[in-house]
Amino acid sequence: MPVDIKIEQHKTDVLVLGSGGAGLFGALHAKAANPDLEVTVAVKGLLGKCGCTRMVQGGYNVALAPGDSVERHFMDTVEGGKWINRQDLAWTLVEQAQVRIRELENELGCFFDRNPDGTVHQKAFAGQTFDRTVHKGDLTGIEIINRLAEQVWARDIKRMEDHRAVALIPAKDGSRIAGVLMIDMRAGIFRMVRAQSVLLATGGGPTMYKYHTPSGDKTCDGMAMGIRLGLTLRDMEMVQFHPTGLIAGEDTRITGTIIEEGLRGAGGYLLDGNGERFMHKYDERGERATRDIVSRGMFQEMRTGTIAKHGGLYITMKHLDPTMVKKNFKGMVERCGDCGFDLVSGNVEVVPTAHYMMGGIVFEPDCKTEIPGLYAAGEDTGGVHGANRLGGNGVANSTVFGGIAGDTIARETTPGAPLVEPDQSAIDEAIQLCCKPLNRPPAQIDQVRTKLWDHMWEDAGIFRDAESLARAKATLDDLDGELDTIGVADTNLAYNLTWHDWINLKNLILVSRSVVAAATAREDSRGAHFRADFPDVRDLENSTYTVVRMKDDKITLGTEPVDFTIVKPGETLIDETAA
Amino acid sequence: MSNTIKVSVWRGQTEGAFEDFEVPRQPSQTVLDVITYIQRNIDPTLSYRFACRVGVCGSCAMTVNGRPRWTCRTHVDKVATDGTLQVSPLRNLEVVKDLACDMTEFFNKMNRAEGKFHPTKSRDDDFDMVLPDDPKRKQASQGIECIGCGVCYAACDVVEWNKDYLGPAALNRAWTLVNDVRDGGNAERIAAVSGDGGCHACHSQQGCVEHCPKHISPTHSIAGLKRAVAKSALKGIFGGDD
Repeated sequence: MPVDIKIEQHKTDVLVLGSGGAGLFGALHAKAANPDLEVTVAVKGLLGKCGCTRMVQGGYNVALAPGDSVERHFMDTVEGGKWINRQDLAWTLVEQAQVRIRELENELGCFFDRNPDGTVHQKAFAGQTFDRTVHKGDLTGIEIINRLAEQVWARDIKRMEDHRAVALIPAKDGSRIAGVLMIDMRAGIFRMVRAQSVLLATGGGPTMYKYHTPSGDKTCDGMAMGIRLGLTLRDMEMVQFHPTGLIAGEDTRITGTIIEEGLRGAGGYLLDGNGERFMHKYDERGERATRDIVSRGMFQEMRTGTIAKHGGLYITMKHLDPTMVKKNFKGMVERCGDCGFDLVSGNVEVVPTAHYMMGGIVFEPDCKTEIPGLYAAGEDTGGVHGANRLGGNGVANSTVFGGIAGDTIARETTPGAPLVEPDQSAIDEAIQLCCKPLNRPPAQIDQVRTKLWDHMWEDAGIFRDAESLARAKATLDDLDGELDTIGVADTNLAYNLTWHDWINLKNLILVSRSVVAAATAREDSRGAHFRADFPDVRDLENSTYTVVRMKDDKITLGTEPVDFTIVKPGETLIDETAA
Repeated sequence: MSNTIKVSVWRGQTEGAFEDFEVPRQPSQTVLDVITYIQRNIDPTLSYRFACRVGVCGSCAMTVNGRPRWTCRTHVDKVATDGTLQVSPLRNLEVVKDLACDMTEFFNKMNRAEGKFHPTKSRDDDFDMVLPDDPKRKQASQGIECIGCGVCYAACDVVEWNKDYLGPAALNRAWTLVNDVRDGGNAERIAAVSGDGGCHACHSQQGCVEHCPKHISPTHSIAGLKRAVAKSALKGIFGGDD
């Protein structure tokens, strides 16, 4: 090899991967339940800074107000999820959200917004029958992650920043997890971190699509590692698109980031390239239709209508009171202004954008996975949201299950207990995979990324059919092969972003393959998944969900019947007579 | 608008040099886009850090033409007035490589300033009633939206002279907590910010205020802390039950 590949060893009791709501809650709960545990948080960037919880604008769904109830929140979640949610997970979400929100406010110090009488304010959010979204202005994620991070800094919790996980390593005898192979990005070396318990909380992030909202560091690393380990993932076809992402032209990082939904709610218009409104062609509610309908309408219009200069459409507020726009959407107006767009009196070009993955690793309500010692929480997991996630249920999901994971881990981990021997062949294999580009002449990997973005967007995004999905499958296989031929400059591996871009793409292609496989299998349309060749929802009573796993480098696919353990389609838990 | 822009970028660690690049101009182009273009198309070994892309995380702050800024939200037109850019890492932090810094010390100082909530209630209790227009809540709200990007820390001359100085962000956080009626840690906090590297080290030069991308005024917060420390010292001498 042209460079020395160094591997250092490290040990800890508990290793948490990720520092969003799930990771930080996992670490804090494990440490609180048993202060003698050595807990280590490893994160791909800086603790509390990278990841998506921080980017939450909307808020936190929780049934608190008189008249609201966990049953009502549950029904909204399951109906929003088009009945394929795993119901015990959805129930855990809505019930524990009531505990977690008070923990956030009372124990961690989040200072949520209040009503004029001093009680906590809960706002309306799409798809919900009650105003239940707790928030801090439109920067709720910052408040939550800032407060979590400062509690972590204050405790004896070890931090490994700029450390990315590259493989979940099983024990030599396969009985349990043995640890995680990481790359210390600053030093450019591998580090094998052995641990009794590992929490997978890296977050999802559908950044394989040309237009996407998540933080730039997100590349489905957790799901990719789970697939390689042989774990089962469910609902992978369910990728949520947000209707309005900014589009600023080639080579702009801000492209894809969210222009908030409230603008349409406040009366904003969507316009085609000629400045004409078009949404009424697709839904009588026009711009105020639900996320999935607006996204599909826009996608359709971009294919058949007149597009704007960067290939998108426009949002405009210029027919509305400028003072209202400046006051109510201050953050958005400033963000647009900094990047050269006038949201108050101009047209801002927008495009639907990939936002969230409802699917992920199969896990239990106590956050255990199929592998003893390996736990999962947050967007890495599947089953909580079903076919569609309600706005405000994302941060509830990560914080609720992150905390539960920490509690379970503390129960199942003994401070200083001996560690099992890792499977050396799994370590060798992972190192070999990561080092693949280091042995080859450097070339531009950007072309692979661009092709991945374009093909996933065109063939496996908002509209899908059997033909487009077959095309996507073939393309992904080709791209994986093409990536393998591309080398990365390897004279210095320290903070070598291009090397990490290569590994990122490797992960995105693998997870994309599972998205395409699941989307091919689901021959109906529901929630975020729309098949142009099967536009109707099949009978809800016989709902199934998809499962994928990898065997011998091939994605295998299955469907399982949904077990309606709490409520069946057509039934409700809400006692209308009691209200 | 010229078709390209000249960009001078810091390479190395503490020791290093500027290297020049020529990058095509785009109508909507931030400094982060320029840096990304260099890494993707000219020199794949260039190191820098970013995450959210929209001014929420504060990972991408760098020194741009002499001033600390979020590169993701800085349009090239705004700063490259003479058609050139010079980009280097944030001042006052250890450089990892090229444009990426180690922020450990900055985070540790947040903790040293007792910049964390001390709970008085638990998850079993209901939310505290806090009136939104209560003066203390308003004071807390003024500084609470700090994202910890380190721009103020890099802009501060006192941080450069005095490595123990807690810095504007940490002290600002301490002040928001002093005004948080739900918090029970003020005795520790006042002790933490009244020492040598605490609020009295601030010379009110206002570099922090001038550069904060969130338009927060750490100087105002630090002045508040100075008053709180004085008040607490008087109470120590004369007693009091407030």
